[in-house]
Amino acid sequence: MLLRSLSGVVLAAVLAVPALAANYTLIAPAAPGGGWDQTARTMQTVMQDEGIAGNVQVTNVPGAGGTIGLAQFVNQSKGNPEALIVGGYVMLGAILTNASPVDLTMVTPIARLTGESEVIVVPASSEIQTMADLVTRLKADPGAVSWAGGSAGGTDHIAAGLIAKAVGVDPTKVNYIAYSGGGEALAAILGNQVTVGVSGYGEFESQIEAGTLRALAVSGDARIEGLDAPTLKEAGVDVSLENWRMVAAAPGITPEQEAAITADITKMAQSESWKKALADRGWIDRFQSGEEFRNQLAEDTTATATILKAIGLVK
Amino acid sequence: MSGGGASGRPDRGGLVIALLLAILAAVIFFSTRAMPVTAQYTRVGPTTFPYAVAAGLAALAVGTAVSALRGGFPEREPERLAPVLWIVGGLVAQILLLKPLGFSIATGFLFALTARGFGRGPLWVTIPIGVVFSLVVWVIFADVLQLSLPAGPLERLVP
Amino acid sequence: METFGLLFHGLGLALQPMNLLYALIGVTLGTAVGVLPGIGPALTVALLLPVTYQLDPTGSLIMFAGIYYGGMYGGSTTSILLNTPGESASIVTALEGNKMARKGRGGPALATAAIGSFVAGLIATLGLAFISPWMVKFALSLGPADYFALMVLAFVTVSAAFGDSALRGLTALFLGLALGLIGIDLQTGQARLSFGIPDLLDGVEVTTLAVALFAVGEALKIAATPPEGEERIEPVKGSVWMTKQDWARSWKPWLRGTAIGFPIGAMPAGGAEIGTFLSYSTEKALTKHPEEFGNGAIEGVAGPEAANNASAAGTLVPLLTLGLPTSATAAIMLAGFQQFGLQPGPLLFATNAPLVWSLIASLLVANFMLIVLNLPLVGLWVRLLAIPKPWLYAGILTFATLGCIGANPSPVELALLLAFGLLGYGLRRFSYPIAPVVVGLILGPLAEQQLRRALAISQGDPSVLVHSPAAIILYTIAAIALLLPLILRLRGKGAVLKAMQADED
Repeated sequence: MLLRSLSGVVLAAVLAVPALAANYTLIAPAAPGGGWDQTARTMQTVMQDEGIAGNVQVTNVPGAGGTIGLAQFVNQSKGNPEALIVGGYVMLGAILTNASPVDLTMVTPIARLTGESEVIVVPASSEIQTMADLVTRLKADPGAVSWAGGSAGGTDHIAAGLIAKAVGVDPTKVNYIAYSGGGEALAAILGNQVTVGVSGYGEFESQIEAGTLRALAVSGDARIEGLDAPTLKEAGVDVSLENWRMVAAAPGITPEQEAAITADITKMAQSESWKKALADRGWIDRFQSGEEFRNQLAEDTTATATILKAIGLVK
Repeated sequence: MSGGGASGRPDRGGLVIALLLAILAAVIFFSTRAMPVTAQYTRVGPTTFPYAVAAGLAALAVGTAVSALRGGFPEREPERLAPVLWIVGGLVAQILLLKPLGFSIATGFLFALTARGFGRGPLWVTIPIGVVFSLVVWVIFADVLQLSLPAGPLERLVP
Repeated sequence: METFGLLFHGLGLALQPMNLLYALIGVTLGTAVGVLPGIGPALTVALLLPVTYQLDPTGSLIMFAGIYYGGMYGGSTTSILLNTPGESASIVTALEGNKMARKGRGGPALATAAIGSFVAGLIATLGLAFISPWMVKFALSLGPADYFALMVLAFVTVSAAFGDSALRGLTALFLGLALGLIGIDLQTGQARLSFGIPDLLDGVEVTTLAVALFAVGEALKIAATPPEGEERIEPVKGSVWMTKQDWARSWKPWLRGTAIGFPIGAMPAGGAEIGTFLSYSTEKALTKHPEEFGNGAIEGVAGPEAANNASAAGTLVPLLTLGLPTSATAAIMLAGFQQFGLQPGPLLFATNAPLVWSLIASLLVANFMLIVLNLPLVGLWVRLLAIPKPWLYAGILTFATLGCIGANPSPVELALLLAFGLLGYGLRRFSYPIAPVVVGLILGPLAEQQLRRALAISQGDPSVLVHSPAAIILYTIAAIALLLPLILRLRGKGAVLKAMQADED
């Protein structure tokens, strides 16, 4: 009797878990191995391990700064409460520069997950000591200050453009030298080929610690722990910029469905295994959801459009 | 395709290559000319390299034509067309079937048609062999190695 | 010496059980694909790229390097026993090795090839370890203008300097350069030659092009070629061990082959073949048994096989220290590094020293594994040669498309695979070399970016291009490499160059 009721409880529990937990398909709009792919794979592992979702499938749809994946997502998942896509700040620029037919207003943004501040560096031997020195030079002859960073129109380029604009220099005059990534730019900065470097903190972290690079400022709203560099705002340049990653749901879902997805993602972001995964990968938790995130997204979208037009990348 | 070459007669295959190179050069040239150019700190903008490549291809087209007329191409053995068509057919079948029917069935067709190109048949035997082989491959790569490969009706049967 | 310390540290990492396992998987796969005619190490690494992104970078790169070395060993088995080179760097081995096998001396031929590969691999890997730090110091001082000069030199040597026709070599190179133009321009963000197709905005994937040209193109070519009689696999009769006389005749060619192969591989020129041909002609000139050449001379197997492996190790010098791939396999390995967010080049030695040194150390380990795999177990590999062609190529195309679909399951990508496959067939049909197309696709955009960076930094002053002594020297070598073959051909010495045609995969 006891055994039977016990087994009944177990059976009910077994049946209940799949009934409560949703299944998700998660589009990583990038090739296997990139930041968005890693974000998607981490979400997959955490949501399955924590029992937040029954089954999570990751699909890679790479290309054109994520806009190919976004287009496929918008066209094929309308109203599907099990479809999610990973995205990020880079997408905002890519949508504009690639003249993408779809944009982030056509999906249902759920939450910002992680973020990384940009850092402005010079080689240790450089005469430039502070952000103020850099601004002085930039004002004197913008062309003589060469900036090394990631691809044109990306976060690094936008940061350089925003800084120029904030200190009253014509952003089209910024002498920006694009590299395929911060790592490749590093060689040019260390070799004194360029004046200044700008990229995500992770790209320069070890060289800053080793003392071969000097950090002039960070682009986020808060200083980075353990790094002796002011924020741009503290240094008198009114710019605030972060390279963040987010997750969005399909267009055309009901408010109830949106709430359920948001609850699942929130649960995931608060779980111990998510926090551990972030620490392992060196990502910074920048969780933000709901109204707050939507406002931030709209703000970033406008700022990006303005600066890309000012740089001349978008007509 | 006739084996041209040492006889000194114009090599038709070579002339076709020359024509294709010239067309490629023209495509690059006109597509580049349509590009808007923004001012930069460098005289070498995004259009310089395409123009240079187009010019190089045009020059190579002329060189290839001259070489073909002089019989400068190495002699070629006659080749069979049918096997090529079988294999190309297999690749086309895979592209068309991949979305609707999933990896295993689509690749099974490629497998069988390729084997047919090398003279192994009949298709009603080789297609099932190919599908089963591809399904095993799918299980190894998609389930065990977590590669995202398109799933169809067959793959959904795999627990 | 500092290098010793770093190498020992690397050896400690390479000997960790997981890394040993990766190395073992790599050399086993590498030997298998080297043995199979039609697929080379480039293809295998390309195929494994999408699978390995979730493994740890060190392990994956160790595996790739194992495939590279293994492919070089395996190729010799096929050339000796089947007279169809498994990979093109083994063409010369087939000349003498197959004759030896027909005379019933297949065992010693396999042995001298394997031991020669081992000796060369060992010396050349140590060479790599000791030259790299020195190269890195030099490379750090290079600016964009110098890199541009270096790439101009690579273009010239890969396409025009060797091979029987500069016209066809250059055409292949320019096809690669044209493909390299496709996609978003890094400096301005503008789309070029993408014709409104969003899939083309990121450009042509190196792996797609390489898989198409090598696997699909090769399958089409083999299928289209009418069979010429029956291919005979020579059985390995008698002892695989070499006699005292075999040893006496082999050790000098091994060392000479290494001395020839390593520098040629290490130069930004490319191709393992050039070294093997040079080694063959050297042995032919120096031998005391000239009557045996063409009839199964053991020197003709020992030298080129050593050169082949030494040159494979040499290729890793420009790849690791300059980020400059000079062969198709190296190009795909570069993609492997980039997949993990690693940029090969001088800084890799500073920022990822443990990875680099465990990679180099694991090459030594792989070398030991390979001699075990290839001598006592050679009978196992020979069985791979017995797979009937229809199943073999059906399987090869299955895996080739699998790699492509796994990286990007888009119909456009598969259509490109088909189109480039047909291109690869056409190139083979008309005797165009394949490697320059791949090298053009990779180095073209790099060269363009370096040129434009150099000019942007100087704010448009072109004199920056010839500002440094390094650049001037590199341009001079490039000019010589371009003009010398021209002069040789005009004076009727073209045949020598034809023998040195580079067509690696």
